[in-house]
Amino acid sequence: MNSQRRKNFKIEAFKHKVELDPKYAERTWKVLEHAIHEIYNNNASRLSFEELYRSAYNMVLHKYGDKLYTGLVATMTGHLNKIAKSIESAQGGLFLEKLNQKWADHNKALQMIRDILMYMDRSYVPTSHKTPVHELGLNLWRDHIIHSSKIQARLQDTLLDLIQRERTGDVINRGLMRNITKMLMDLGSSVYQDDFEKPFLDVSASFYSGESQQFIECCDCGSYLKKAERRLNEEMERVSHYLDAKTEVKITSVVEREMIANHMQRLVHMDNSGLVNMLIDDKYDDLSRMYSLFKRVPEGLSTIRDVMTSYLRERGRVLVTDTERLKDPVEFVQCLLNEKDKHDKIISAAFNNDKTFQNALNSSFEYFINLNNRSPEFISLYLDDKLRKGLKGASEEDVEVVLDKVMMLFRYLQEKDVFEKYYKQHLAKRLLSGKTVSDDPERSMIVKLKTECGYQFTSKLEGMFTDMKTSQDTMLDFYAKQSAELGDGPTLAVQILTTGSWPTQPTAACNLPPEILTVCEKFRTYYLGTHSGRRLTWQTNMGTADIKATFGKGQKHELNVSTYQMCVLMLFNSADGLTYKEIEQATEIPAVDLKRCLQSLACVKGKNVLRKEPMSKDISEEDAFYFNDKFTSKFVKVKIGTVVAQKESEPEKQETRQRVEEDRKPQIEAAIVRIMKSRRVLDHNSIVAEVTKQLQSRFLPNPVVIKKRIESLIEREFLERDKADRKLYRYLA
Amino acid sequence: MRRSSNRKSSSTSATATAGSTKAASKEFEKIDQLFNVYADKSSAIIDPEGIEQLCSSLEVDYTDVRILMLAWKMKAQKQGFFTLEEWRTGLKALRADSMSKLKKALPELVKEVSRPTDFLDFYSYAFRYCLTEDKQKCIDIESACQLLSLVLGTQFGPQVDKFTEYLKSQSEYKVINMDQWMGFYRFCNEIPFPSLENYDSDLAWPLILDNFVEWFRENQK
Repeated sequence: MNSQRRKNFKIEAFKHKVELDPKYAERTWKVLEHAIHEIYNNNASRLSFEELYRSAYNMVLHKYGDKLYTGLVATMTGHLNKIAKSIESAQGGLFLEKLNQKWADHNKALQMIRDILMYMDRSYVPTSHKTPVHELGLNLWRDHIIHSSKIQARLQDTLLDLIQRERTGDVINRGLMRNITKMLMDLGSSVYQDDFEKPFLDVSASFYSGESQQFIECCDCGSYLKKAERRLNEEMERVSHYLDAKTEVKITSVVEREMIANHMQRLVHMDNSGLVNMLIDDKYDDLSRMYSLFKRVPEGLSTIRDVMTSYLRERGRVLVTDTERLKDPVEFVQCLLNEKDKHDKIISAAFNNDKTFQNALNSSFEYFINLNNRSPEFISLYLDDKLRKGLKGASEEDVEVVLDKVMMLFRYLQEKDVFEKYYKQHLAKRLLSGKTVSDDPERSMIVKLKTECGYQFTSKLEGMFTDMKTSQDTMLDFYAKQSAELGDGPTLAVQILTTGSWPTQPTAACNLPPEILTVCEKFRTYYLGTHSGRRLTWQTNMGTADIKATFGKGQKHELNVSTYQMCVLMLFNSADGLTYKEIEQATEIPAVDLKRCLQSLACVKGKNVLRKEPMSKDISEEDAFYFNDKFTSKFVKVKIGTVVAQKESEPEKQETRQRVEEDRKPQIEAAIVRIMKSRRVLDHNSIVAEVTKQLQSRFLPNPVVIKKRIESLIEREFLERDKADRKLYRYLA
Repeated sequence: MRRSSNRKSSSTSATATAGSTKAASKEFEKIDQLFNVYADKSSAIIDPEGIEQLCSSLEVDYTDVRILMLAWKMKAQKQGFFTLEEWRTGLKALRADSMSKLKKALPELVKEVSRPTDFLDFYSYAFRYCLTEDKQKCIDIESACQLLSLVLGTQFGPQVDKFTEYLKSQSEYKVINMDQWMGFYRFCNEIPFPSLENYDSDLAWPLILDNFVEWFRENQK
């Protein structure tokens, strides 16, 4: 025997199976089954968690998981069926409460059961691909309670009925509702959707469809919108209190569709209360409500916008073609400004400053302002009025505000070159008659025009201001140097106008009184002495004069008159009475101007320094004029001149328009040549488009005129038609 | 008279031209003789009177379009006058050196002119031929109408009639320029008449035609 031989000490697992006595499994199951019963009977307190857990554990361990699981299913099912019956037997309002209570109980029970069977949940369930306990509990609840034939429909009807009652004003138990809906959610979102949400949405749709139909028959637009808003808020509140959050967007879209989208057209066009009425009456609240409601539905805002646009265009069209209103240009423009202000306010107060609405407003204004081709003239007249007297006493900011608003209207004009022509004329009159309130607003306006249209637009206007200033300096210098020679002659104030900058006037002949002539000649000599190479022409149709006159009873008045009027009046220093023909001969003033001049001196009450025989209103060539000894006026200084800018008469307007058309021709030609020079070869439509684009800041060229200009350029060999493709033009270098 | 020198190579053509004056004078002898029949003795040019005589010899009216075609063949510069060079050019091209040959050549000439490419050239020549003054670029309406009838009357009668009616009735245009003249020919070729269905005033048709189409459509109603 060898003591070195060690005994091998191995620890081996049991080689024999420890078979659980099947009776043991059955016994253990019974324990557990009993526990489940107790749990469902609210007798869980007497159970030992540890023992039950161990029992379950053993069963699973000894491969009796199947039995445990199927047993669980059967037991639970059995309980649930009993529960179902008790719920079914509940009467009326108690139904939901019973359901809710039983659900709570079930959840509690399920929790405990799951805890007990946790080992099975973790080991047996995954490997045999069974549903875990908790989920199993929910599914069984769903199948045997919620979807039980006696409960399913009743549950849905009860829920929907409660909601309906709440919608009609009753108070319901919201907490209970929340629990129920939460239960449905817990059972799975498809359960919530199929058993509750879908029918809820359907019922709501027909409810709101009916209600909206009813409202729209009896409500005006504003009230209807209030109701719609209220319902919308109500539904959102409902969701937050007892429905699942995901339902919110679905139910709101139902309300939006039924109450708003389906009735949009009718609401907007409603007689006496629709959109147009709201706009007219400045109903900011209603408009704001409409905006926010309509924003929620497709095409909502564009519907509002379209109706607003067509209303504005029509209203604008009526405004600019109203012949009564057109008699007063200043009033006309003020009216347009007021309309713009009103609608700006609406857009900012009610439409959230929405840019698309602002654009619609702009395009509408642009449309109707250009319907009347006198708009440029009238805007200039408005400015003339303001710059003459309207802005007196206003602060600098106020002035800027007014000018900026007028600039907005200016931007809408298509024929900006027409405006430029009139503005120049009116500015000339203002500067020369010294009638502008102050320089600052004038300058400010020029700056605004320059910013908008570029330097070229305003260079001549600025030239006019420069001329005025230079003239002042010249006069100072003249009197400084010549005071000795001038002695007691009349005081002369000369404004020297650079020909290119000022509106062209035809010069007419006029015989100045000798006293004036002398001093004028002295000035001419002085000026030409200091500025060689220039030519001076007296513009007798643009000047003014201040004359001191003594009347019959010795009253002295100072008369402010035009140059023509002065020439006429001075004649009466050497004669008490003169015939028309004598006056005409002596002054050589053109007939049209002379008649106007005499009319203002003899036929206007309060200004009749001359007496006419016969006393008719019009001047005829047979009339005779006498110095009016009996003239009286409460003012010492009497203004008789007629230099105010006025709305042009028809023939004058035609003439101006013609001049504008003539001016446009070279501009169009220049644009064509510029374009062709860079593109070399171009087809007809492209030229028209390019020219229009280039000139759009000044005016909208007529395609026919463009074609004519092209043909003229072809004739003068600046362009030719392409020989191969006759639709193309080619630049000839 | 066939000129075989056309087919000779350049080296030999030099000799051909050197000797051309002699050969030319021989070649042009009969043509020149014919020229002198009609030319004015002092100016050595066929003047309007001479042309009238020529016409009666040819048995065509002097307002006949064939005289215009003849002028075109001659590339005559001045209306109413044919120079010797021009006479030579024309008659040589027509292969005529006698009155009878010239008479026979006329129908051929008419046919030649009717070919589209030649007609285009003839058509624009006809306009230029009427520009009698230096630097003149337009023809007055009256003359333009007459010329249109003469030149396009047979080919596009209805259009010509309507267009001349329009020209005489309107007062905006007092003259026609080359661009408008050529435009009308294009119009006759491209636009079906009287339907005018594919006329589009947005394309580069001369404005006078836009106005014509508008006038025509107004009058249809």
